[in-house]
Amino acid sequence: MYTMVDYKTNAHNVYLNGSFQATPKLRFNGALIFNYTKAESDQVLMPDVEDRLVDGAGAPGQLELQDFSFDQMDTYSNLEYQLLRFAAGIEYKIAPDIKITVDGEYADLDDKAGYVYGIESGKYFMIRSGIGVEF
Amino acid sequence: MNKIVLIVLVCLFALVAFGTVVAEESEPATTEFSLWVGSHYTDFTDSPKKVGEYNLGNSEALPEFKLNLLSRSNGKLFSLDGHYFDDQNINANLRAVVGDRMNLSVQYRSMIRQTEQDLLENIAAQEFAGVDSLGNDKRGGKMLTHAITDPGADYNYNRQEILTRLNILLSKKNNVRLVAAHRSILKNGTEQKVASDHCFSCHLTSESAEVDQRTHEIEAGLEAEVDNIDVGYTFGYRKFKSYTADPTAYFDKAMHPINITDTATQHEFGSRLIFDDSTAPFGIYPETERYSHKVRVKGKLGTGRVASSLVYSKSKNKRTDLSSEAVSGVLNYTVPLSPRSRLIARVTGARLTADDPFIDLPTFREGRPGPHVDFDYTRYSTIDRTEGKATAEVITRLNPKMTLSVLAGYQIIDRDDYPTPGNGLTTNRFIGQAKLRYRKGLNYTTSLKYRFEKTSDPFTSGRGLFEEVGRDRLLPLVDGFKFIFYFQREDLRYQNITTEPTDYHEFAWTSTWRPDPKVSMVLGARGKYDKNNDLDSLDVEHFSIQPNFALNLTPDPRVVVSTGYTYNYSKSRGPVAVALFDG
Repeated sequence: MYTMVDYKTNAHNVYLNGSFQATPKLRFNGALIFNYTKAESDQVLMPDVEDRLVDGAGAPGQLELQDFSFDQMDTYSNLEYQLLRFAAGIEYKIAPDIKITVDGEYADLDDKAGYVYGIESGKYFMIRSGIGVEF
Repeated sequence: MNKIVLIVLVCLFALVAFGTVVAEESEPATTEFSLWVGSHYTDFTDSPKKVGEYNLGNSEALPEFKLNLLSRSNGKLFSLDGHYFDDQNINANLRAVVGDRMNLSVQYRSMIRQTEQDLLENIAAQEFAGVDSLGNDKRGGKMLTHAITDPGADYNYNRQEILTRLNILLSKKNNVRLVAAHRSILKNGTEQKVASDHCFSCHLTSESAEVDQRTHEIEAGLEAEVDNIDVGYTFGYRKFKSYTADPTAYFDKAMHPINITDTATQHEFGSRLIFDDSTAPFGIYPETERYSHKVRVKGKLGTGRVASSLVYSKSKNKRTDLSSEAVSGVLNYTVPLSPRSRLIARVTGARLTADDPFIDLPTFREGRPGPHVDFDYTRYSTIDRTEGKATAEVITRLNPKMTLSVLAGYQIIDRDDYPTPGNGLTTNRFIGQAKLRYRKGLNYTTSLKYRFEKTSDPFTSGRGLFEEVGRDRLLPLVDGFKFIFYFQREDLRYQNITTEPTDYHEFAWTSTWRPDPKVSMVLGARGKYDKNNDLDSLDVEHFSIQPNFALNLTPDPRVVVSTGYTYNYSKSRGPVAVALFDG
């Protein structure tokens, strides 16, 4: 028994990157990324096959205990999540060949539907600092 | 830290070697060096698996450093770029160039990837056996179950790749060069393995397995120029092996799926299986070796240029003692047709063959009353085939602003033994493509492309998807035996199934607009549509479209802004089928 089913995916990606040299010693940079993805199957509507059942002798057959609705099957492969990622950083030159840097990154994944791995919502935060030399 | 020591040693060796060569020259070298030393702190909330897919996934502070070195002199270059994020995420690139005498590059990449655990929660069903006196559903005997033996397991792997390329001039006469390359890929970690039990118990079991896989690949050859003809030969060797013990699983004792307490049925169901009530390896990796020989010829032919190559390769899975061979060739010919147009013709061909192993199976129902079946067979390979493809593309400059290219092609895949031995499926494909490019100075460019492919007899599963209605066409294997076995239903199957299309359409459009040096804007869209007209009752098709937009602004020399948006819509239509059994 089969039916034809559509599986649709919609994915939106937006990004914004920028850098700004505020002074000869000070520089800013940043990035913003947003992704929203939703994928789902149309509802699975199986045909009525009761009138096509025959027993071993060719007489009409019965499958009384079968459930042909499959009304939850389409949810097995549903996906819906959004990811927001934001990064920003500062560079400051304390000498012509020496700079200090501070930057950070934040990401927030909102998993609304889960998949075979379960709900995977999570947040990530990173901060980084250091000193650079050039010669 | 062994990785760091190794990288430092390689860098020092290359630096000394380069320094020796540079020292032979009188030109002074200029050197630029930058070093960044710092640390980072990572913090995760809730699940780190997807949001931190390429991170260690730990909340911790770690040291980090980057370095860049660039040294140049007359005709010589040495560069080194490295980034140490943590002990699993490292990148290093080294390059040394000495005029046209030597070109060496070494690349090391290490990354970690977090992988998730399939919870197998969809694998949970039991036969419906009616309703009890209280109106509650009663469950029957047949069931589909799963077991996670390592709940909450943290799967991840570290992938390291070392890639080295070397090109040395051996003789200026005939420009004889030694070309060599080496690549190693090492993969270590843990992964999820799912064992599927026999159908009488329909039981999936998940467990952790160690990962230790190593791939080594080398290439070495000679290139030369003889009478304005470039010739070359390359030998290649590739090896893959997994160094972990094979994972094993216990396969249940054979029992009737409903009457599980009836131990008398064990002999009947056990006689239909290759093994039961035993532990056996599963999900094992092959151990493969591949040798190849490649010759190349390139040069002038008439008013055009020709480039061709011929490759022979042999691969072997040492664990199964199965081999395959391939011979393939490419011939490219480019010739001007007029001052404004040229022809690019390309012909490729390949012959692939693989061993056809004999599969020796125990007799079905051996020792049981009633019918017995010998399932021994020769597994003819689906790889055995002859392939050919020819394309011709004419590129014409219509006027100073517009260029048109038109391509036509034909491809054939002639399989030897699939779906039936000696009577393989032959796929024919016709290809048409047109591209139009328009350029108005440096301010505006646009391109349009359309491609169409028409395929007859694409690859299909030869086993069929559906059964004929009813079972009246099947008879017991011997007179007086009342059962019809499930394997007999193979005879009822029909309807080929495939995801390969017969009609394929593709278009692409990109426009770039630069009104002034401070602004550039890109607009574009790509789309694909395919369907299969040969599947009778099935209506398989795929459609996707991806419009995109990008804007780059430099309003001030101190400010750079870029933004963009991409949308992806795709739709796939395919069959969803469920099995119907009457017991």
